[in-house]
Amino acid sequence: MSMPAVRTEHLTKRFGRLRAVDRLDLSVESGEVFGFLGPNGAGKSTTIRLLLGLARATAGSAEIFGIPAADIRAAHEKLAYVPADVALWPRLTGAEILELLARTGPGVDHAYQSDLVEQLDLDLRKRAGTYSTGNRQKVALVAAFATRAPLLILDEPTSGLDPLMERVFRTAVLEARRRGQTVFLSSHQLAEVEAVCDRVAILRSGRLADIATVTDLRRLYRTEVEIGYTGPPPDLSTVSGIDDVEPVGPGRLRLALTGPPAPVLRALAAAEVTTLAVREPSLEEIFLAYYGEANR
Amino acid sequence: MTAVQAPTRPVRPYRSGTPERAVTSLVVRQVHRGALSAIVLAVGVSALVPATHASVVSSPAQAQSLAALANNPAIRTLFGEPGDLGDPGSFTVWRTGVFLSVLLGAWCLLATTRITRGEEEAGRTDLLLAGLLTPERLLARQLAVLLTAAAATGLAVTVALSAVGTDFPGAAVHGVGLALIGMFFIATAALAAQVFPTRSAATGSAAAVLAAGLMLRMVGEGVDTLGWVRWLTPFGLGALTRPYDTNRWLPLLVLAVTTVAVITAAAAASSRDIRSGWLVPPAGRDPNMALLGSVPAFAARRTIRPLLGWATGIAAYYLLVGLIAASMISFLSDNPDFAAMAGQAGFGGLDAVEGYAATLFALVAMPVSGFATARITALFADESSGRLTLLFSGPRTRSGVAGAETASAATGAVLLLAVAGLAAWAGTAISGADLGLTGALGGAMNLVPVVALGLGASVLALGVAPRAISWFGALPTIGGFLLLVIADSVDAPAWVSSLSPYAHIARVPMESPQWGAVAIMMSIAVLACAGGLAGYSRRDLRL
Repeated sequence: MSMPAVRTEHLTKRFGRLRAVDRLDLSVESGEVFGFLGPNGAGKSTTIRLLLGLARATAGSAEIFGIPAADIRAAHEKLAYVPADVALWPRLTGAEILELLARTGPGVDHAYQSDLVEQLDLDLRKRAGTYSTGNRQKVALVAAFATRAPLLILDEPTSGLDPLMERVFRTAVLEARRRGQTVFLSSHQLAEVEAVCDRVAILRSGRLADIATVTDLRRLYRTEVEIGYTGPPPDLSTVSGIDDVEPVGPGRLRLALTGPPAPVLRALAAAEVTTLAVREPSLEEIFLAYYGEANR
Repeated sequence: MTAVQAPTRPVRPYRSGTPERAVTSLVVRQVHRGALSAIVLAVGVSALVPATHASVVSSPAQAQSLAALANNPAIRTLFGEPGDLGDPGSFTVWRTGVFLSVLLGAWCLLATTRITRGEEEAGRTDLLLAGLLTPERLLARQLAVLLTAAAATGLAVTVALSAVGTDFPGAAVHGVGLALIGMFFIATAALAAQVFPTRSAATGSAAAVLAAGLMLRMVGEGVDTLGWVRWLTPFGLGALTRPYDTNRWLPLLVLAVTTVAVITAAAAASSRDIRSGWLVPPAGRDPNMALLGSVPAFAARRTIRPLLGWATGIAAYYLLVGLIAASMISFLSDNPDFAAMAGQAGFGGLDAVEGYAATLFALVAMPVSGFATARITALFADESSGRLTLLFSGPRTRSGVAGAETASAATGAVLLLAVAGLAAWAGTAISGADLGLTGALGGAMNLVPVVALGLGASVLALGVAPRAISWFGALPTIGGFLLLVIADSVDAPAWVSSLSPYAHIARVPMESPQWGAVAIMMSIAVLACAGGLAGYSRRDLRL
């Protein structure tokens, strides 16, 4: 098995009494697109800063392709980064900043850089001081993708992009995966995560709440089932794994299902079912369920 | 949900006070610390100097030689036309007037561009203006608070001078003059903040007005036939009031009218797009790829522009020092009593150009170390604003980035010392005082260890206490200078003054350098830099 792109063991960061990241164990395989989710203040950006060595862990360890994150010079040969809040030198133009980052970074694919600039419709003659949030983000995205670094760490990289540009971004992520690059994507755009990520980790209060493929997450979560029937309603009182059974009209029932559907299908077999609709939860609903638990 | 919704009643949002009052308290919070420091310093200096008057002018002979010194064109250029130096009030104005007015003017200017254009550039003004406030009212409130701070400083000086027993009319003229100079630079900076779209450009242009005003006053004071140019500069107008002497109010009227005119212009210019200005450079331009190839090159690129600004100021000052050298030296050789007195006070050799140059070169450490500290402060500003994050995500150590900045600041500092030496040499060559090029450069370079200590302290602060870089950086130079002055005037034990780096600097070119002390100071500076860089690579980035 190849070396994981990112591995953390008991990674912990305390700010005074606050545990921003709490004994986090994470492993991102080489070549996968990894989604990193969590509500505001869950510790996502802090985790990323620990991975980049911008902050030092209170305890535990983080490795980039087996290199300790603290060995910045070696670890950063393998990665490129897009921060959540891109700040640029206001007097330099876009072209000058890309030149600076290209010549001080781990290498650059100039042809791909020009492609990206064109696709993202970025005016490089402008001074960074005149760029909007989205344009600053584009500069950082172009610089990161053009490095061809084996690991791309992206912290909410599309929060300022319009839907058209976000599509360009998704294409770039998928192309990166095709080339074998690993993408570590922290995002609040759940549709985007759902579209591009192989696996997802959900962080809550600095701890790992869950880590699974998007499909597996769905399986763990409540599927909404709606049935239409004629005759007597099916007897569901003894079936495990269902709740919130409610009639939604004459001859119609809605229920929420957790776990494998076999028991409920057996119970339904006894009734005269005319329609059956199963709706899997969206990542958003899964995510909201986690939020909700935190509030309970 | 099926719950029946009660008919909603309109909710009256809670609002306390008017938006103007809220902005006033915000502005007060933004400037109160600096304003209080300015007031405390102005009051302290104004109250202490009259007390020293009796000891400085204790005999008629002393009074006479002091008057002779003060009337020398060179000294007049620096301190202004003296009044009756036998009067404690007049003496205080002569000793502190230029210093306090430049200090107050500079603080007013920096505070004004910081809270107007600085806040706007950072995008925080947008938040305020999204509320009920108009840009004109915001500016009015900002100006009101700043002008009050300047007025309070002037009032405090008047009260302090009266309290220590000087004549009230003189104290009033001096206090009002100081306040109006502060107000003039608030107005100038406010106007610059409307014209230029960045805080640095606004500050730079307002600072240029201040520097030009000071230079013009110096010319007016030093050259008899050009005395009238003092009417053209706020510093000159302040001097023309002649506090404790003729107490003229007309120059103050001129200054007040000018200030009102500039404020009106600033208010008129404030109807513009937010985050824009009247002089906006074109948004697009061809790339300039010079000095982008490596982190050290990029550090150099960012240093060049501020370096040129500092170099211009330092060159102008040392050119002037050189130009007045011949006059000073001939004065001192004509007044051997005074030269002997200066010798007793530790300023021996002033009657030779080498001694004169050595004494004045000691001052250059303060602005040059200030430049180095400003570069380290700028690095921290880049860090805390997130600009360095992209560089730090590249394959390099943090100490490498900070080390490149330190090296670039050190190189710039040495260049500035060379500029001071060259300018002084050029000035002396023109005025006919024979300070050789080697002597001039040697005298300036003699301050390298003191400047290195200032840089070392700044880098140490970057690693361990980045919010306090300015304080750390000022400690060896400004702190060391003040320590020496205070220790001398209160007759402190020798070890107290030996804490100051200046105590270990030979008077080059009159003497040869104290290489032992140089080596020790340089070692301390290198250790401080190393400690700071080590701390910097260990601490979390502040974002």
